[in-house]
Amino acid sequence: MDRVQGTVENYSNPKTCFFHVFFKAAALTFYILSALFFSSFVIIFVVTVFLAALDFWVVKNLSGRILVGLRWWNEINEQGESVWKFECLDQESLARMNKKDSWLFWWTLYLNAVAWIILGIFSLIRFQADYLLVIGVCLTLSIANIVGFTRCRKDAKKQIQQFASQTIASQFTSTLQSAFSLV
Amino acid sequence: MSHGDTIPLHPSSQSDIDEIENLIYDSVPSGPATVLPARPRSPPRAAIPVSSSPFINSNIPPPSYQTATTSAPPKLPVPAVVPVSSADFSAPTGGDKRQVISSDAFGSPANTLTEPVWDTVKRDLSRIVSNLKLVVFPNPYREDPGKALRDWDLWGPFFFIVFLGLTLSWSASVKKSEVFAVAFGVLAAGAVILTLNVLLLGGHIIFFQSLSLLGYCLFPLDVGALICLIKDNVILKIVAVFVTLTWSSWAAYPFISAAVNPKRKALALYPVFLMYISVGFLIIAID
Repeated sequence: MDRVQGTVENYSNPKTCFFHVFFKAAALTFYILSALFFSSFVIIFVVTVFLAALDFWVVKNLSGRILVGLRWWNEINEQGESVWKFECLDQESLARMNKKDSWLFWWTLYLNAVAWIILGIFSLIRFQADYLLVIGVCLTLSIANIVGFTRCRKDAKKQIQQFASQTIASQFTSTLQSAFSLV
Repeated sequence: MSHGDTIPLHPSSQSDIDEIENLIYDSVPSGPATVLPARPRSPPRAAIPVSSSPFINSNIPPPSYQTATTSAPPKLPVPAVVPVSSADFSAPTGGDKRQVISSDAFGSPANTLTEPVWDTVKRDLSRIVSNLKLVVFPNPYREDPGKALRDWDLWGPFFFIVFLGLTLSWSASVKKSEVFAVAFGVLAAGAVILTLNVLLLGGHIIFFQSLSLLGYCLFPLDVGALICLIKDNVILKIVAVFVTLTWSSWAAYPFISAAVNPKRKALALYPVFLMYISVGFLIIAID
């Protein structure tokens, strides 16, 4: 299912892509437009942060798995130390991942963080500490996801290399063995 | 990959896990195994209710932020997956007595990369409930407080803080927004600072674990605030807040004290009590 020259893949998981973008867009839109409609800061805060939290969960647990086959989490082991774990699909499945899906995934992730940073700058200029709180929370969530998935992707690449070299080594060994057995 | 490293697990689950691991590793050269879409570690949390040990299986994939709503339930087409984890196998297994979500002990080890959405949601929800029970309610089976909240998550604390803020804001007749912002800010910043306090005192606690703990211990204060919202009698408010305050502090005490050097226990605990007391005053004083 790799790209043949000229054909353009469609999104292979449209629903997931939609939700991946939806919550981010909803949080940003609500935050920006809320000033026009709601005077109560509480509602703005709660709804925006809730949407951002939902988005965080969706990205971490759903779109990460489905669109790019990555997953990251944190565990605490026996010794009480915190361990970051990364999980990825095996190489074949990774190669089969829809390119458009992953493009969408990564770009919206970065754009979301940038958008919140810009909104944060506006808030700073206007000296609205309340809104900075909202932006701080949303930004933290976006950045957490970005960092998590980036590390996961690096880890996945490293493992693919290890796997490849391991495969080559084992095949080489088995070839040698069969060669010797024939002699 | 660490081959055959032996991490002491509960016997009944050790065999399962060993089998899974062996199958994965043996099949690596032959490409993605039809063997099983197994997770490289012990099965997902709650998969093996080994004993009534309080240790929560800590390899729950998404420790932070889960949600109560489901988004789309897409069908997951990816077949054979060999999830490869980069970290060591740390697997304190043992579900506790709670509901076993995925009944897959060995039969079909849940592959967290391709599991249905609903499973993820259920798993996360049950984690919130179990954490709550573990932290806030008297638990005779809780062996070691330091290990009990291994399975931290931040959804519970998030909901509790927001709920407290909303309740306080509702009770306030003026300046509702400020009340909410102050409550949220104080609680969130307070949790972070308290955690730093414990860490700086040389305590052994994970940052997120501590945040999670302090957030869950807000549950009694939430109840207190709700009572104060409903009934406006001053005496009742004072009594309710006092009771829930002591409950909160009592809930937080074992975790914090287990984390620091005994000589420094008071130094670590005092700010926690202070924070809860000030929240208590905030609840009483709101009119």
